[in-house]
Amino acid sequence: MDIDPITRSNLSARHDPEAEAGVAAPPIVEFRSVTKTYSAGTRRAFTAIENVNFTVEDIPGKGEFIGILGPSGCGKSTILRLIAGLLPQHPPTAGEVLVRGKPVTGPSSERGMVFQDYTSFTNRSVLDNVAFGLECAGMAKRKRHQLALDWIARVGLDPDRDRRKYPHELSGGMRQRVAIARTLILHPKIILMDEPFGALDPVTRTQMQDLLVGLWRELEATVFFVTHDVAEAVYLGDRVYILSNSPGTILSEQSVPPPDGPSREMRRENDFQDRVFEITFLLEELEAKAAAGS
Amino acid sequence: MQTPFGDPSGNQRKRSEPKDDSLSGALEQDSSRDERNEEFRSDQGFLRRWFVIRDAPGSIERLLLGVGCIALLLLGWHLLTMGEKPVLKPTALPSLPDTAQSFHSLWFERALARGAVASLSRVLGGFLLAAAIAVPLGVVAGCYPRFHAFARPLSIFGRNIPIAALIPLSLIWFGIEDIQKVMFIFMAAVAFIFFDTTQSLRLVPGHFLDTAYTLGARTNWRQGWKRASKFGLAYAFLAVIGFYWMTKKPVLQAGYLPASGTLIRSGGGFLLGTLLWLPVHNHQAISKVLFPLALPYVINSMRLLFGLAFGYIMLAEVINAELGLGKIILISQRQGPREHIYLCLIAIALLAFGIDRLVMFIQRRAFPYVTHGH
Repeated sequence: MDIDPITRSNLSARHDPEAEAGVAAPPIVEFRSVTKTYSAGTRRAFTAIENVNFTVEDIPGKGEFIGILGPSGCGKSTILRLIAGLLPQHPPTAGEVLVRGKPVTGPSSERGMVFQDYTSFTNRSVLDNVAFGLECAGMAKRKRHQLALDWIARVGLDPDRDRRKYPHELSGGMRQRVAIARTLILHPKIILMDEPFGALDPVTRTQMQDLLVGLWRELEATVFFVTHDVAEAVYLGDRVYILSNSPGTILSEQSVPPPDGPSREMRRENDFQDRVFEITFLLEELEAKAAAGS
Repeated sequence: MQTPFGDPSGNQRKRSEPKDDSLSGALEQDSSRDERNEEFRSDQGFLRRWFVIRDAPGSIERLLLGVGCIALLLLGWHLLTMGEKPVLKPTALPSLPDTAQSFHSLWFERALARGAVASLSRVLGGFLLAAAIAVPLGVVAGCYPRFHAFARPLSIFGRNIPIAALIPLSLIWFGIEDIQKVMFIFMAAVAFIFFDTTQSLRLVPGHFLDTAYTLGARTNWRQGWKRASKFGLAYAFLAVIGFYWMTKKPVLQAGYLPASGTLIRSGGGFLLGTLLWLPVHNHQAISKVLFPLALPYVINSMRLLFGLAFGYIMLAEVINAELGLGKIILISQRQGPREHIYLCLIAIALLAFGIDRLVMFIQRRAFPYVTHGH
């Protein structure tokens, strides 16, 4: 069996060896004056994000959950895709994107991503979708299927009934469960979520949020979660970044209470609602400013 | 109140009923309901439903309509050719009974079945050869836009030359034996298969590729060589078999040693197959994601192209073919009976239809996650 070094370390060591040795670990993600301009130098040049700076420290044994909020088209996805190292956002036009102190050179299973679109491979069963990353890493069939079945159960699908189903036989919520399972099975250090629940109905959405909070606690990964939904960001996040309109920059960074209880109960609390209101107000102000400026 | 809504065949109508209610005013409701019932009953009328947009018939009705078309054609044929003084003379269109009776001589004297097998195997040979080369190249062009830009002029050229104009060229290059007929089909099909494969790969949505990357899909040369060499073995085998089938030259010498030509062909086939499939298999994002996702569409387009290629073989078979449907048609035109021409045309259509359905059936089985024919 040959697993590539990245996956092996992901599977076995949950703790960063450097952190355990007492060496100060570099920040898990750092943006240094990052600007991304598409079709630069032409008449169609469009700057998606401009001079974005932020640092997310690697908290050993626990990752941070960072919500990214902002009006549509403000470059939220661009930030995620720059961290993931995906074309055409990668490479940045100016500045540096560092992950654990090293510039991002391309995508890797160390930085898992869940998309808004249903991206389960339509030609693969649920089992083979979830096992895909392990298959790429060269894990033997029996072992990867075993792990995949375990993860299918952990995201709330029925391993017996659902394993052989194809994505077109699943509901939207079930497909996103598959997407989450196949990302988390690789134990990525960084999980990038680009409005993963954007297309789901409100009830399913709440269920998925609770599922995500439960799984994230076990994983100790740093999560970047892009959303339109202020309540979702406030519920899930430790911190919320608020982006301004194009070109996007980070305008404000808000600390929010971590998710202590189920989404349904937290949403009823006064503190929670105040926080949601404050941030919504902030966003509305931003939009108004942008509208006045343009 | 008597109502036709209980009618089980009126399901679709029933669902649209509330909408109608909201449209017609409350005052007119009673009278309009009666009117609607009238309309509804006549809607059930077979002829009316012909003119309801997208009102789909059941499978039995569909079949009956198709059979009806054929029956109508045969009836027309019969009316035009029957009696002592037919509207069309037998030289223009033979009568239906005469045509049916000539089937016996077509089958036994002109060897219809053997001819059909010969034609089919030529098309299959040329088409598989074209696919064997064009599919892997098409995958590469579909995944790497620079290769696509490079190969585009050839693909445009290949798809726009008139197919019939390739006949003289194929005669010059490959002589007049079977090899020429196979290579003609190859030349006619290769650019189309390449183009369709490229398109199928390009149409796979980008988010699948992004997902594959973030799940760790990467280049893997070891896996690439391993899988590509399997394709190489298959190509070597097919090269030897194919050459033997076309030329009947012995594969072995002295009873057990491979002939020198066999060695060259198997070596060449192995090298070709391996090199063509290596770029497909050495990147997991292609071998595990893009190619499998595009494959149903590649196969589907090949099914359609095969139907065309089957038509083109007739062109090649009018020149020096011992056997073949094209040959039978040519002889029937020159020496008669003319009835054979019509029978051959029907046989060709039936054969092509049968193959099409067979491939479609296999497609449905192999790719249960794709809906075909829509």
